[in-house]
Amino acid sequence: MNVRKAVITAAGRRQRGIPLQRVIDRDGVEKSVLRALLDEVLTGPIEELGLVVAPHDETAFLELAGEHLSRVRIIVQAESRGYGHAIACAKDFTAGEPFFHCVSDHLFVSGLPPGGLTQLLVQLAVNESCVVSAVQATPERLLTDFGAVGGQRISGRDGLYRVQAVLEKPTPTEAEQQLVVPGLRAGHYLCFFGMHVLTPLVMEWLASGEFANLSEALAKVAQRETYLATELPARRYDLGLRYGLMNAQLAVALAGPDREDVLARLVELLAVPQPVRRP
Amino acid sequence: MTVLEEILTSSDPQVRDCALESFAASATPAMLLEEAGALEALRHRHDNLYVRVRALFFLYAIHRFYLPAKASVPQRALIPGAGVEHLLNRRFEEAIQVFLREPTSAPVSSALGMAYQREAFQTLADQVRRSVKSVRGNQWMFRCGHPLDYPLRLRPELLDHAEGGFPVLHESTPVRMDLTHSGWSDIFFLGMDFPEGARVLNVSIDLAVKGVARPPVEAFLRVIDQPVLRLTSIDLGATADLTSLRELFNFGEDYLGLLKAAVIAGGLVPPGLEGADQPLEALLAKLTGNPGYGLEIASQVNDIPKGSRLAVSTNLLASLIAVVMRATAQTRSLTGTLAEDDRRLVAARAILGEWLGGSGGGWQDSGGVWPGMKLIEGQIAQAGDIEYGISRGCLLPRHKLIELSPDTRAKLEASLVLVHGGMAQDVGPVLEMVTEKYLLRSEKEWQARQAAIGVIDEVLAALRAGDIPALGAATERNFFGPLQQIIPWATNAYTERVIARTRAEFGADFWGFWMLGGMAGGGMGFMFAPEVKARAMVRLGEILSEAKRELEAAVPFAMEPVVYNFAINEYGTRCELLRGQEALMPPGYYNLLAPALLRLDPRTLSPGRRAELERLSDASRQPGPFGQLPRVLFETLVPRSAGTVVRDALPALLEQYGFDRQQHELIRQEMRQGRIGLAQNRLPSTATLSDVDPEEIADAGRDLTPAHTKLGEEALRAGAMAVVTLAGGLGTRWTKGAGVVKALNPFAKIAGRHRDFVEVHLAKSRRVNQQIGIALPHVFTTSYLTHPGMEQARHAYEGPLFLSAGRSIGLRMVPTERDLRFAWEESRQQQLDERQQKIRASVRTALIGWAKGLGEAADYTDNLPLQCLHPVGHWYEIANLLLNGTLAQLLVERPKLQYLLVYNIDTLGAAVDPSLLGWHIASGAALTTEVIPRFIEDRGGGLAKVNGRARLVEGLALPQEELEFELSFYNSLTTWVSIPDLLRAFGLPAADLAYPERVHTAVRRLAARMPTYLTLKDVKKRWGKGQEDIYPVAQWEKLWGDMTALPELDSRFIVVPRPRGQQLKEPAQLDGWLRDGSAAYVESLGVWAG
Repeated sequence: MNVRKAVITAAGRRQRGIPLQRVIDRDGVEKSVLRALLDEVLTGPIEELGLVVAPHDETAFLELAGEHLSRVRIIVQAESRGYGHAIACAKDFTAGEPFFHCVSDHLFVSGLPPGGLTQLLVQLAVNESCVVSAVQATPERLLTDFGAVGGQRISGRDGLYRVQAVLEKPTPTEAEQQLVVPGLRAGHYLCFFGMHVLTPLVMEWLASGEFANLSEALAKVAQRETYLATELPARRYDLGLRYGLMNAQLAVALAGPDREDVLARLVELLAVPQPVRRP
Repeated sequence: MTVLEEILTSSDPQVRDCALESFAASATPAMLLEEAGALEALRHRHDNLYVRVRALFFLYAIHRFYLPAKASVPQRALIPGAGVEHLLNRRFEEAIQVFLREPTSAPVSSALGMAYQREAFQTLADQVRRSVKSVRGNQWMFRCGHPLDYPLRLRPELLDHAEGGFPVLHESTPVRMDLTHSGWSDIFFLGMDFPEGARVLNVSIDLAVKGVARPPVEAFLRVIDQPVLRLTSIDLGATADLTSLRELFNFGEDYLGLLKAAVIAGGLVPPGLEGADQPLEALLAKLTGNPGYGLEIASQVNDIPKGSRLAVSTNLLASLIAVVMRATAQTRSLTGTLAEDDRRLVAARAILGEWLGGSGGGWQDSGGVWPGMKLIEGQIAQAGDIEYGISRGCLLPRHKLIELSPDTRAKLEASLVLVHGGMAQDVGPVLEMVTEKYLLRSEKEWQARQAAIGVIDEVLAALRAGDIPALGAATERNFFGPLQQIIPWATNAYTERVIARTRAEFGADFWGFWMLGGMAGGGMGFMFAPEVKARAMVRLGEILSEAKRELEAAVPFAMEPVVYNFAINEYGTRCELLRGQEALMPPGYYNLLAPALLRLDPRTLSPGRRAELERLSDASRQPGPFGQLPRVLFETLVPRSAGTVVRDALPALLEQYGFDRQQHELIRQEMRQGRIGLAQNRLPSTATLSDVDPEEIADAGRDLTPAHTKLGEEALRAGAMAVVTLAGGLGTRWTKGAGVVKALNPFAKIAGRHRDFVEVHLAKSRRVNQQIGIALPHVFTTSYLTHPGMEQARHAYEGPLFLSAGRSIGLRMVPTERDLRFAWEESRQQQLDERQQKIRASVRTALIGWAKGLGEAADYTDNLPLQCLHPVGHWYEIANLLLNGTLAQLLVERPKLQYLLVYNIDTLGAAVDPSLLGWHIASGAALTTEVIPRFIEDRGGGLAKVNGRARLVEGLALPQEELEFELSFYNSLTTWVSIPDLLRAFGLPAADLAYPERVHTAVRRLAARMPTYLTLKDVKKRWGKGQEDIYPVAQWEKLWGDMTALPELDSRFIVVPRPRGQQLKEPAQLDGWLRDGSAAYVESLGVWAG
């Protein structure tokens, strides 16, 4: 199995503006979210990237690609028909090859050099020759924002799980019945990290229109073939949540050389007396 | 390893299922004590829950039934008060340790028995709760401790109000009937220990009292444009807008407890949020995604009365939980039926809801969630189950749907008549008895259980063959055989009378009887040949009503009997989403809420409400369910003048029974001023109170001689004796304030049939008559409540039989807050289980509000007239003998009459005993009161030395409550009375009995010297369809035992054996009374008529 293509989806109604936001990265460089993602995905084994966008967004996105421009191919999702369909729009681009996929409304923070996370996930998929999703243990109150998997820890392999069930934005009730994974903290579930390596079969299923979202297709994968999930040495931050961008920016800043400066500003903010709210 | 340890720990079922009685009946006290020591150690060291619990039950039985019965075990001892205190505070382990330090004696064993039994049930209940909490899908709700952790969101479909109003989610759910009667094997404790024996055949049914059967319970949910949680119980006529979590977790303050439990168990407001101090608004905003939005949930039970034994409340809870879970995407489907794993989760949540609401049902009760007919069986816990290693069975059973052929289904529907007999009893004690007997593996009951398990296969075979006569025969055989062997109290005189009359009328066309649920008298089934079913439905209704009329003075009925139309429901719980013009709540909802809305200025209504009223207006112009609405609304908006039955009837009754208005006003004034009250009942704290030395009083076992017997027999032959049974009381504890005549309650089968208390007492006098060759006069004192029924009952007796009618009456009053608080906060009382205690606390807060609202010490008139009156204590029942001329008549008919034996209606072992009479005569005493060694259950004062003089002290007069357990002897209230001395105390020469005025004066004079006690009694108020509320009301009384405090009366006391002196105060005591030999003892005392 060889993974040399990637697909990033950025066409969702709620998310299409997020990749255009600007953040200051771990090294103190100001860049767009999209650029940060491209730096991560295109620094490793990935040669070519398909970026799925909404109509009329092509130019704005291409302008941000910078040095990666030549390796980025814009794919337009003509109609807003959901996440699964957005990936399926890249069917011609992936051309029957397995591919790396990540979402564009997350920011990934790790101690690895750019491309490190992509490299880890792709390497695992290549070694195991199967679909692999990156996951992150997430408290149950956030379940309604993510897809989540349940399964068994693979003994002797740190942070690696054999996936048995996948649910999109489950309630804690469903999660507790189907997604409990031994060894996690109480009330925590393995939710999608926002990075996957998917096979042509998954692309076929998505393109068939049988599944409304990726989670449903992955649930079928879990029933049919080996499907692994792995915890990467990183944290993902969903920029689409309330205060998501601020939270992500803080997390990035606190992981880099500006940490003390940011902390000092936070303390300053905390020390400012709050005006009394009048009814 | 001891014999009992072997039984408890053996892996061989033959050994494990051995009954305790096989060993204990013949064991010596030393052997029993050795076993008790071994079991005590075993239960502390063993890690299996059921070994521990069974050890507790064995210990309970040893101490309750076997040790006290052994002749060599001391019968007299003080029960340590510290242990009693622990018991009251539910610190059972500590109580056990205190009692174990005491030397062996029957009273201490009684205390140990109670402590072991309570600890056993607490352990079981805790385990069920732990299991309910640990069910996957429930755990998160206990972790969610802050609204910020709240993870649920409403399904978007419910927020779509494009068509004018928010859609209404409507769940309709059948109820369940148990076609086999499971031998109560659906009790969690049984299913979790003996899953192989837990099997029921459970059918989901639609019902109607009139017309076409439909799902009996419904739940409705919708978004509203106000940030509140609006809960409405349509059938109970209650609604509330909740704005805080505190209100939601307060279950007892209104009739919305079940809805609140459903909201919590459904996860809408998870139980982990109890105690969080956030407004509900924030949580609703998170749930709906819109600040300013709220949620409305309503429930409706369609004409099915309470106590139907069809698990109406559990299925309503399940229906509400299902609608909540659908709305919050916790189930897969928003509408239609539920998937199997969703049904299981709803069932588990319903168990949780019942626990939250302080009630408890069986595991089959939410069967209405499933469709049609299903076999529900216990599941053996496997590795991976949360119960594995703790109990043999899982909490939740397995449901296996059974395909019933259309032919069989039609046959069953064509034969079966379902009824509600009108009785609504508390089945809680029955379920405890079943558990206890199962865990003890009592031989007879264990065999009966095996037989009941066999019945299910018979029923299944009959169904497969479409053989309904065989089905009827099997369920009836089950009722009269195994079920009554396990629990004799499952049947009652009413049910058996109805069955006998139905059989007499329909003969071979009546194919069989079938008991639904915990006990007979409420929901019941009768199977008939199809060709007579229509006639049977009519006649059965009449037979039930007739039997009810005959027995209603003696048996508490909650409602008129009803005959249902029913149909098997093939869907289980189902849901639909009503949108657009159809997005309305049911008509009953608007009957309840629309009048208030219509009175408001339309400009103050929210846009949503205005749109809704417009849709309602449109709907009411169409033929259909809303067509009747304008008429109903008009009647509600302009109510007719209220009925005046109560107000008219009450003064007449007061007049009839000699109500003393002047005295009543005086008592009211003193109550308000705090001069009369519960705190004032007590003797002054300066009184010195001590136990009576056993040597100071006589002991029937020690002091009676043949000479006494001879003397007594001579007096009996001479006609010097009459018996007076006090039957004027209300038997509040027996009927929980239902206002029926306890004396006439056919409470147990004795000598082949159900007998009431009067029959038992007459049977004992009959034996004396036959033994001595006399005709003993027997007087029953009555009161306004008991007299008419007693008069009609016409019991057979071969001797002079008198009814001594009451001549005094009181009018109940609304209690003062001070007295309510004294009773609930300052008096010692049994703490309840955690949830029930919380509910009790909120009910009490509501009742204090009720009392203050009606006015403290105001007349209590908000009930049936007879429920507003009260008898004024048994002291007056003796005085009435003088006032109404009964004593005078007796003396005329029996000039040599010298002595009365006075005893209470519930002292079943009391009887004329020549030797005791002889002792009384020889002593020359005016009064000889029989006392018994105090056991743990004997509450309410006793024999004490007060300022050096031995006398009876009422429990409510003790200066400190804890003194009770420093008194060795309990007052049986059985008193031998010398008539001349009694008359002297009244200051009344016998000749003056013929002069009513002199008698009145004498009674008034002595009454003034008797203390007046203020008491709080429970009174039931019935309303709706079988609903009952219980209110505490204040009344006053003077008590017979205080006669022993009169210095001019020579009062003596004699210790008698416990079976002679113990009283039967509540139905829950019946089983112990039967099992400890007391019933056999009473049967041996009588010569039984017919």
